[in-house]
Amino acid sequence: MPEEVNPLGKIEVSPVAIATVASHAALQAYGIVGMAPKNVLNGLTNILTRDPRQGVEVTQRPAGLVINLYVVVEFGTRVSAVANSLSNSVRFNVESTFGLTVDEVNVHVQGLRISTPDA
Amino acid sequence: MTAAETTPKPVPDLYSCNGPQFKQLAEAALIWLETNKELVNALNVFPIPDGDTGTNMSLTMQAALREIAPLNDRSAGRVAHALAHGALMGARGNSGVILSQIWRGFARAIDGSETIDAPLFASALREASTTAYRASVRPVEGTILTVIKDAALAAEDAATRHRELRTLLERIVSAAHNSVERTPDLLPVLKQAGVVDSGGKGLTIMLEGMLRYLRGLPLDVAVETAFRPLKLDAVGAAMETIEPGQEWEVIVDFKPRGSIDVSSMYGRLEAMGTAIQVGEGDGMYRVHIHLLKSRRYEPLEMAEDLGTITNVHMENLLAQVGEGDVEPLKLATVSAGQIGVVAVSPGDGLSRVLASLGAAAIVGGGQAQNPSTEDILRAVDDLATDHVIILPNNKNIILAANQVVSLSSKQVRVVPSRSVPQGVAALLQLLPDGDLSQVAGAMEHAITQVHTGEVTLATRTVELNGVAIRDGQHIGLSNGQIVVAGEGLESTLLALLEKMDAGSHEVLTLYRGQDISEPDADALAGQIRVRYPELNIETHFGGQPHYPFILSLE
Repeated sequence: MPEEVNPLGKIEVSPVAIATVASHAALQAYGIVGMAPKNVLNGLTNILTRDPRQGVEVTQRPAGLVINLYVVVEFGTRVSAVANSLSNSVRFNVESTFGLTVDEVNVHVQGLRISTPDA
Repeated sequence: MTAAETTPKPVPDLYSCNGPQFKQLAEAALIWLETNKELVNALNVFPIPDGDTGTNMSLTMQAALREIAPLNDRSAGRVAHALAHGALMGARGNSGVILSQIWRGFARAIDGSETIDAPLFASALREASTTAYRASVRPVEGTILTVIKDAALAAEDAATRHRELRTLLERIVSAAHNSVERTPDLLPVLKQAGVVDSGGKGLTIMLEGMLRYLRGLPLDVAVETAFRPLKLDAVGAAMETIEPGQEWEVIVDFKPRGSIDVSSMYGRLEAMGTAIQVGEGDGMYRVHIHLLKSRRYEPLEMAEDLGTITNVHMENLLAQVGEGDVEPLKLATVSAGQIGVVAVSPGDGLSRVLASLGAAAIVGGGQAQNPSTEDILRAVDDLATDHVIILPNNKNIILAANQVVSLSSKQVRVVPSRSVPQGVAALLQLLPDGDLSQVAGAMEHAITQVHTGEVTLATRTVELNGVAIRDGQHIGLSNGQIVVAGEGLESTLLALLEKMDAGSHEVLTLYRGQDISEPDADALAGQIRVRYPELNIETHFGGQPHYPFILSLE
């Protein structure tokens, strides 16, 4: 569990709290239309979810946090650019909220959502 | 480009717009955006120059216009469709992606239409807004999204009363302006930073560009800013990179005898060289220009003609780089089966350092402008070997580099170096004839052994990581984290070294940025030596923009 020590004691941050912030930032990121289960075989019917922990995996390494994001992207956007902005935004939000170092943000695009087909 | 080529002629009242006319509107939007790009970039809320909004939007629009440039289609629908496709393929950064969605919706609404009239323009903006919102589950208000929504609302309202497109655009632009001004009320982070939303501003500027075109107002940089003299001190701080024909920098201050015709002075200067800037203040003029050695006295002759010279500064820019002549970059040559390294470099000097350590290809790019996946892919594919290692040398480029792995048919490994010093450490592990996985593994280990420090200027007032930062202050980053902020470059650098525990390391390598002279860097190195007598200090010319110093501790 990531922790910080100050003269009064230590502060622990649970991975669930980090996942909630990461998920919130991810769902605000432009082009991301949902979080997806890590294992897509769970079924595409429940691919869109708002459970704060779904689609976010937080692990701790000596160099900092590693955040894996499993996302669904809007069809018709440039996926590379969306993913790039997503990882920057999640890193920024987690680092500025908790003051913890994020070593890696990995984006896994699990699917695309086609909301309107282009003519 | 001369002013005559780009100054639009006033357009008569326009009730419908066909393919070629729509193309001109889009072009006007891009030109006006480019003219005002820095204004948009300056609204960046994060304190580090990093993929700026104005630049991203303008690169996205450039890609869009490249797509329609060869098109000679009468149908507005088909031109818009191609424009949207180009924007999608070339989308850069967050704002670029949203912009591509705006065009996508716009194009969908006018699909199949030969011309666009006022009601169709309004419903196209509505569809643009709807499409842009649809790609986000939690749309953030106070951004470009709000501005396109407000613009569409105004368009729908105005289209019921006005059929003339210029009048319609006047209403749209004014609503967009008001919407941009309201963004800080909707988004607290903007209010804290004291700015309006950059993406919304960029969009408004594009719409304004279309309106200016219809009004016959100038759009081009050469026309607009040539007559707007910079403040005297801003000239010295102007960004400089050395390109062919820029061997010498000359700065001349003079007191004019009478009134000066600035445009004809510009004409004379343009014939001499590049990077021209003219400052004005206290009845004085300052001229800054880069030119060939053979022409370096010409600005003085011109200034003598116009008045009395008070001060002259001349500098051989090539001397900063090295031996006095620009040597072409000596990249490592690789043969089939060997390992070739593609490294991303943010500056001329750093490119030389990376090349001297065995990089076989260099892709330009760094803090403010990330190279695209295509740029890196091209460098990988151009190498004469099918074993390639990519060193992104910046955390924001790692993702683009990773994509190359699946796009290239070659065996490609990305060693996720997040700074140039990490890239240098990785290159030291290069064995051209070694096994790709083993070499990449050794490099991955090596980059964890080096500590990177960076000193840059904050572009915003903000509080980050508990460090209060004011606009214009120097900030020091240790392995990507802001750890110090201070007034002077010197004190910030020393404070950063202290935070990084420089005393416990053996070697300090300093790469000076493009705005730091060699004597200045040496003087600083001297001070560091006094403080850390045990430390072995090396200084190199890095040539990177934005960052006066990048350093590594080993």
